[in-house]
Amino acid sequence: MNNNILEIDDLHVSFNTFEGDFTAVNGISLGIKHNESIGIIGESGCGKSTLSFAIMNYVAKNATVHGEIRFKGEDMLSMNDHQLRSIRGNRIAMVYQNPYSSLNPARTIGFQLDEVGIFHQNLSKAEAKEASLEALTMLNIADPEGVVSRYPHQVSGGIQQRICIAMAILCRPDVMILDEPTTALDVTTEAVILDSISKLRKQLNMSMMYISHDMGVINKVADTIVVMYNGEIVESGPKVELFDSPLHPYTRSLINCLPRGGVVKEKARLHTIKGYVRKRGAHETGCPFRERCEKYTPTCEERYYMREISDKRYASCDRAYATDVPSSDDKKKPIEIKEKPSDVTKPLLTLHNIHKYYPNGKKRVYAVNGVDVEIPPSSVLGIVGESGCGKSTIGHMISGLYPPTHGEMLFKDQNISIAWNKRSHDVLKEIQLIFQNPGRSLNPSHTVEQLISRPMKVLSTFTNKEQRTQEIERVLKRVDLGKEYLSKKPQQLSGGEQQRVALARALITHPSLLVCDEVTSALDVSVQASVLNLLHELQSETGSSYVFISHDLHVINYLSDYILVLYSGKVCEHGLRDDVMNNPKHPYTEALLSARGEVDPKVKRQVIDISGELPDPTKQGVGCPFASRCHKKVGPICDTEYPATVVLDGGHYYNCHIKEAVK
Amino acid sequence: MSYFVFQLKRNPLAIIGIAILLLWIIIAIFAPVITQYTYTEMQPEKQLVAPGEANHLLGTDELGRDLFARIVYGSRSILTVALLTSLLSTILGVLFGFTAGYFGGRVDALFLRAMDILMAIPPLVLSMVVLGILGDSSIGSLTLIVSIAFIPATARVSRGVLLGEKELEYVSSARLRGENHLYIMFVEILPNTVGPIIVEATARFAYSIMMVASLGFLGVGLQPPTPDWGMMVIENKPVITEAPWAVLFPSLAIASLVIAISIFSDFISKVFTHEQ
Repeated sequence: MNNNILEIDDLHVSFNTFEGDFTAVNGISLGIKHNESIGIIGESGCGKSTLSFAIMNYVAKNATVHGEIRFKGEDMLSMNDHQLRSIRGNRIAMVYQNPYSSLNPARTIGFQLDEVGIFHQNLSKAEAKEASLEALTMLNIADPEGVVSRYPHQVSGGIQQRICIAMAILCRPDVMILDEPTTALDVTTEAVILDSISKLRKQLNMSMMYISHDMGVINKVADTIVVMYNGEIVESGPKVELFDSPLHPYTRSLINCLPRGGVVKEKARLHTIKGYVRKRGAHETGCPFRERCEKYTPTCEERYYMREISDKRYASCDRAYATDVPSSDDKKKPIEIKEKPSDVTKPLLTLHNIHKYYPNGKKRVYAVNGVDVEIPPSSVLGIVGESGCGKSTIGHMISGLYPPTHGEMLFKDQNISIAWNKRSHDVLKEIQLIFQNPGRSLNPSHTVEQLISRPMKVLSTFTNKEQRTQEIERVLKRVDLGKEYLSKKPQQLSGGEQQRVALARALITHPSLLVCDEVTSALDVSVQASVLNLLHELQSETGSSYVFISHDLHVINYLSDYILVLYSGKVCEHGLRDDVMNNPKHPYTEALLSARGEVDPKVKRQVIDISGELPDPTKQGVGCPFASRCHKKVGPICDTEYPATVVLDGGHYYNCHIKEAVK
Repeated sequence: MSYFVFQLKRNPLAIIGIAILLLWIIIAIFAPVITQYTYTEMQPEKQLVAPGEANHLLGTDELGRDLFARIVYGSRSILTVALLTSLLSTILGVLFGFTAGYFGGRVDALFLRAMDILMAIPPLVLSMVVLGILGDSSIGSLTLIVSIAFIPATARVSRGVLLGEKELEYVSSARLRGENHLYIMFVEILPNTVGPIIVEATARFAYSIMMVASLGFLGVGLQPPTPDWGMMVIENKPVITEAPWAVLFPSLAIASLVIAISIFSDFISKVFTHEQ
């Protein structure tokens, strides 16, 4: 055990709150070797971040910490502030989730970087500056000299996070702890940053602890994987073996509930985990996962402890493939999809050359710049693109939050290029919008009954109160919630339950078009899977259409019939799901596909680096908007001329000067 | 509610504040039971009796009126006016602030300028001038005028909290089902803003006490024979050297009530901010 640089021994962290004492970290033992990269994975509320803060001996006032954390053999929990200061940021560096709030907005980037060298290594100003520039260069930041004189808000989120990482590696730390560093970033940026993190670790001989909820991300950066659930480690082992044959039912479920490896709705339902992560009381015993586990047996009431199952593989359970408890695998059968009427000719919704400009001071922000698309009845259109590409704006215009600046939207032959206040009740009823964050879209002061019954009162013809109650109960049941939820308020529900209520509220008016704006992005993977299953079931049952907006290609791939790829408010590519996913024609689609994370460690994909800057949204460019980042730029024509649309079979088209090149 | 108790247990100062406030409320309600004297009864033979003597707990004033009775009955008028004022100014403030914040644009600009004008005149000066011109200070007119003087503060606070809530998607969601503006403002948004509004209302309560007492002191408050603490201070000022108690006790009454309400207001604000 002596070659472990960082050792955690039976660590407990509990918090004393108004609701009582609860445990965030419960008896964790963990060792990180020299040059090792450990990935910690688990859903939100599993104590991952608390663990990382406890390592730095940096916890909230109402926390109690027991156990030992040894850094190079010395116990960090018994160190005083002075001793800790020489380790924090110097020998153990940390990178947090949100770069914007970790950087001081009032100081230049250079000042903040230099400070690290001056404080920890007693460098002179000139030396510190040199070290800062070197660190920035290591992270492939173009023009480091220009960057140091800027303020954090003047660079993009991706660059900000790279600066935070540069700051962390400045002292050449022995251990680097990264807490969800790429979660707030776009997939393409994320892929590039993960790539440089892996390279840096080898180059600088660092040990690393990488915390994430995303299996795809962990797969890219870690050698050893630790799975946490409710404050306990439930399994650990080398990456390939762990992903290949998970030992703990939780690990197995977590891997299975991802829409990954090209799984689509026609082939399989997603695996789900029942229930949700619950705060754990300070004196609870037994397996933390037992109440959600499908392999539950009475022995789970006692603590199993971590055991070595096979070489280097530890788990606190060995029942992942147990045969005495039947798996509920029959649930995985895909639900029957009704044959769509083949003679459908009229689209349900047509967007014709729509534009949206926002005023921004004296300037204008061009959010959507001429999008044409059709949505046939009973089908799902997935809109995908990075943040700022205009996908949400399109969804909001369709649902009527604001009208398009130019262009026409036709819904069942009616012109709906108008905002909500001018739309008829029929149109409002027929098009429903579901938001990303149910905590914000459900009024916290209203009960579930009020929330769901209100649209009915306003928009539907149900005047009879009894009828309404019956209808509400029916819809609630449809989204797998019982009558007992009627009197609850949103705060009493988990994120998944809240999103189900939001879904029920949308369904109650029997809409024929549902706009889903990143509806699963705020949810944990296990909950995401059940919501996706539900969305799919409801869609094929009611024959309604969805506009499904997401940044996650796996999710889009699972649910969509058609895919629309957007960039900078313009269409890159549109087509049937399989055409776009398997035969991408636009370089941007290709880059997006290359950046998505996989859970299978055997799949190796070359990430296409499109790390350039996005075009300025306040200017209307003449050329292809993607030209500044494109890895397949044809020549000057890309900057000067917007490409003509290339139409292929089956409604598949793309806008690029490359006619054949992409294979 | 249980959270209220939880916080109260760890906050002894708040317990004292709330106890004093409750004590004053009980005194106001049960005034006739508490004292055998009336506040107007003059006993010429008992002028400036010292506290505790001749059956007068707090002594008497220059006209031989029982100070204790005047303070006890004085709590009625001051609490009534202050309570009504904080209620009315909160209601008016929410109405103005919500309308301005919700509609935004020109409505909001007009509102802000109007509030600037109103705020340019200190509330005390404003009330004093208006009451002086009216020449009549009943509980009704006093309440109305002090409330109007307080509108800018409450309106700005409610406008502020509304602006934060307006951006949340539940408001968009209500619009998309065709709700009217009044429903969105008062059924959707209002319940989520009660915390800061109640905090503001309790703060206004303390200010109202100060204001009513100050107006009484300046002679434009409630008119005699209604006992008013502020008025009692000024009435007995000429005899301050012979009978300091006649000034001291009404001043203590004002101070204890204002401080008690301020402590209560701070505590309420703590409870509400923690809940969110």
